[in-house]
Amino acid sequence: MAAGWETVIGLETHVQLRTKSKMFCGCSTAFGAPPNTQVCPVCLGLPGALPVPNGAAIRLAVRGALALGCTVHPKSIFARKNYFYPDLPKGYQISQHDQPLATNGTLSFVSPERGIVNATVVRLHVEEDAGKSIHDRFPKATAVDLNRSGVPLIEIVGGPDLRSPAEARAYLQTLKQLLEYIGISDCDMEKGSLRVDANVSVRREGVTTLSTRTEVKNINSFAFVEKALSVERDRQIALVESGGSVTQQTMLYDSRENTVRPQRSKEESHDYRYFPEPDLPPLVLTPEFVAEEQSELPELPSAKRDRFAAQYVLSREHAAVLTASRGVAEYYENVVRAGAEHQAAANWIMTEALADAKDHQDQLRVPAAGLAQIIALVKGGTLSHQAAKRVFAEVAAKGGDPRTVAEALGLIQVGDTNVVAGWVTDVLGAHATEVARYKKGETKLMAFLLGQVMRASKGKADPKLAQRVLEEKLTSAS
Amino acid sequence: MSVSRDDVLRIAQLAELDVEEDALPDVAEQMSRILDYVAQLSAMPAPTNGTVKTFVPGPDAIRFRPDEVAPWPLAFGPEKFAPAFKEGFFVVPKLGQFE
Amino acid sequence: MSDAKAVADRLVKSKRLNALLTPSKELRSALTAQAAAARPTGVLYGMPVAVKDNICTLEFTTTCGSRILEGYRSPYEATAVTKLKAAGALIAGKTNCDEFAMGSSTEHSAYGRVVHPLDKTRVPGGSSGGSAALVGAGALPAALGSETGGSVRQPASFCGVVGIKPTYGRVSRYGLVAFGSSLDQIGVLGRSVHDAARVLSVISGRDLRDATCEDRDPLRLPTVPESLQGFVIGLPREYFPAELDPAVRRACDRAVRLLRDLGAAVREVSLPHTAYAVPTYYVIAPAEASSNLARYDGVRYGPRFDGHADLRGLYRATRGQGFGAEVRRRILVGTYVLSAGFYDAYYRRAQQMRALIAQDFRNVFDRGVDILFTPTTPSPAFKAGEKLSDPIAMYMSDIFTVTANLAGIPAISLPIGRVKGLPIGGQLIGQAFLEDEMLEAAYALERVVPATEEA
Repeated sequence: MAAGWETVIGLETHVQLRTKSKMFCGCSTAFGAPPNTQVCPVCLGLPGALPVPNGAAIRLAVRGALALGCTVHPKSIFARKNYFYPDLPKGYQISQHDQPLATNGTLSFVSPERGIVNATVVRLHVEEDAGKSIHDRFPKATAVDLNRSGVPLIEIVGGPDLRSPAEARAYLQTLKQLLEYIGISDCDMEKGSLRVDANVSVRREGVTTLSTRTEVKNINSFAFVEKALSVERDRQIALVESGGSVTQQTMLYDSRENTVRPQRSKEESHDYRYFPEPDLPPLVLTPEFVAEEQSELPELPSAKRDRFAAQYVLSREHAAVLTASRGVAEYYENVVRAGAEHQAAANWIMTEALADAKDHQDQLRVPAAGLAQIIALVKGGTLSHQAAKRVFAEVAAKGGDPRTVAEALGLIQVGDTNVVAGWVTDVLGAHATEVARYKKGETKLMAFLLGQVMRASKGKADPKLAQRVLEEKLTSAS
Repeated sequence: MSVSRDDVLRIAQLAELDVEEDALPDVAEQMSRILDYVAQLSAMPAPTNGTVKTFVPGPDAIRFRPDEVAPWPLAFGPEKFAPAFKEGFFVVPKLGQFE
Repeated sequence: MSDAKAVADRLVKSKRLNALLTPSKELRSALTAQAAAARPTGVLYGMPVAVKDNICTLEFTTTCGSRILEGYRSPYEATAVTKLKAAGALIAGKTNCDEFAMGSSTEHSAYGRVVHPLDKTRVPGGSSGGSAALVGAGALPAALGSETGGSVRQPASFCGVVGIKPTYGRVSRYGLVAFGSSLDQIGVLGRSVHDAARVLSVISGRDLRDATCEDRDPLRLPTVPESLQGFVIGLPREYFPAELDPAVRRACDRAVRLLRDLGAAVREVSLPHTAYAVPTYYVIAPAEASSNLARYDGVRYGPRFDGHADLRGLYRATRGQGFGAEVRRRILVGTYVLSAGFYDAYYRRAQQMRALIAQDFRNVFDRGVDILFTPTTPSPAFKAGEKLSDPIAMYMSDIFTVTANLAGIPAISLPIGRVKGLPIGGQLIGQAFLEDEMLEAAYALERVVPATEEA
């Protein structure tokens, strides 16, 4: 980035709430249905239809607002945002404007550049989604599918607190984790349950006022967030440095070309003519309702991460990996509860379990008790680490009790000193030259000799025991 | 106050309504008349103590609907009433050269 | 139990009124089918009830008197219609109305004007002119209409029938094509208070499909009282201005005398913000309408109008050709008053004024008045074409009716006399959700008032 410039970014995130039915009607929100099959008079915008709000959506929205530390307003108002577009069936979107559900929250995240940043959440409000317009299915025409029309969303508006595209990505990832933790959304950018628009401006370093900003849309993945914002930032800097000025407009990101271009608007003037929705009474929340949602909040990611680091004596990085999702965190604690040692459990999960999960739709296939057993078998010397990994893979794929599986695979280590001593004696006898060299000081030959013992035992010798016996025999006898 | 020809065009654009060129003066005149008439509302003294209440009849608070998949019934699907419907989609012309 | 054929015959005979939009053949076969299927235990068993064409029905088309919904068959029906059918009523066709209920004369229908049942040179009132004309002509005992600013009571007054507007939230709006959402209610036209009230009772009550419908049981009808002893009836002076037509005043005076004779106490009261009611209404209603009518864009239903190379073209052709002049005018005014820079001065102001108007009524009712009595309209039915050149002149015919819509309270118009042979109505305005008291007074007055006599 050109020197002397500061980038200012604020993100507006639209998050689809995990409900069975839509925001204002009883149609299903299930993904992937054939077009225009999850529709009714309300979400089709038929003459005479009326909205009726989904209580679960409000609950989830309140939960989100509380998790972000917002002030939840006991009374808020739905409002109409009026504009014309084919996937907006009523010609207006029911949203919130002057009196939103919640305001004034914070999202703390770790910036790659400047440590912990407490980004402001200006507001969080509830609204319905529009349908989907597909522009490339029919020539010279747009195809409209209203299955998504009416799906419940919360819009989270962040303040201009982010200072780089990388920060924007980190903010989003932290937000996604938080919302997944509290179970209000799948936050899947691919499926469209998490969408982001970014407000971007640039200013000379040291300037404190905000410059004219543009809005960047059509960003479809976390990676593209960083790319799109970098491209727009560079465009603005180049523009100003060459004597031009930034005009307030909407820019669309093109991921194939990695460029941004102005959107020739679907709403020429942004006069949405907001007014309170006359078909809906005020949204009134009792203190009991809010208190109940507050008490339903689980331990939030940052708190859990800090607790893991302290309670299980883990590094911050390891704690972060183990608490990245609630599912993994729960799994870890179950493995520890089943008797596994903290660090061993951490290592096994971070390597074997998560790798396996990645290839199997994020499923942690080995039950917690099973993993604890495998760890114990290694600790007790019954399985070598290598053998244990094989057992893990087997249990993951086919289930079963780890010890039984290990026995069936013939992987149980021999921990009997006499038997091991026998192999050691044989090996020492067969490699007199190496033994002599070792005794002369080439201690690196231990690895070779140990390897020979493992070969002689067909891998079954407990390597630690074998090493001990080898050392004993090498130092004692001459 | 009066509504100009340009005002009418701007408002018509917001409302996606065509107003024919030769109809513009009449529409502007009628709108002016109506808006002048209703402007007598501003004769009402402005609120002195901050906010003056507004009034909307109806229930005081929303009653929620349970989160169940139970759509209000449609006797027949969109293919029966849509003016242009193909392969399950509503079809409209593209937004000019911009999409 | 009406014979389906007899009903159909009577309706077809009143074709000259242009009040019914349903073709005769379709009407006949629908009535026959319904009569066969009607539930004998229903309280309205066999009663033919026509439905204003801005209320969705599964039978017949729903055009709202507009080209933009020409031929539209709704895939669902209004809750009020479902309730009528469950009570055994026969849906006797769809009635002509001002386009999207915007008008006071039913001259703004795309399907031609409706003719006054007693004088074909005059209007039946609007926007529920078709329903009022059919009941006024004796073709039906009752019909559904809708109210936003008086569209049931005003045509009731003009056509010499009873018209009831319920409390806002008494009847579900699910299936009533929205015009002014915070004002709209389905209302009933009837040949008598009893006929209209019976129908109102059936269509009223909670509905989960309308969030503005109150969680109450259906309206329970009162009995006809022996006297109005104990009733306090208020006469708001603002509704009896000096310039009120003397014949209308005479009819009202006569009605008031009869109310006194029935034992009611009569008191003069004041509703000081009455003068602001019409301008307030003509900000709020068009504003809400401009938003409610945005869905008519040619995308999902209705005919496709020619001349659209692109999306904008589709919108403008559809709405430019599909909407009539009055609707276009109101959409433009409504869009204007909501637009940036004007919202506070117009819409917000109007909602504040609305609060003052509602407070006027509460003040009067809190001081011991039970019901108010006023003329329904300043004059009887005017001639067709008379008020078309000046929209404001048309709006002024709503002067006595819009206040009840703004305040959300119930009101009923019943015929109280004739002015040069034309019917004129008197209005009773009640307290929110106290329709039963209002109906008691209406029953009592109806029994004694010489409705067909010159004032």
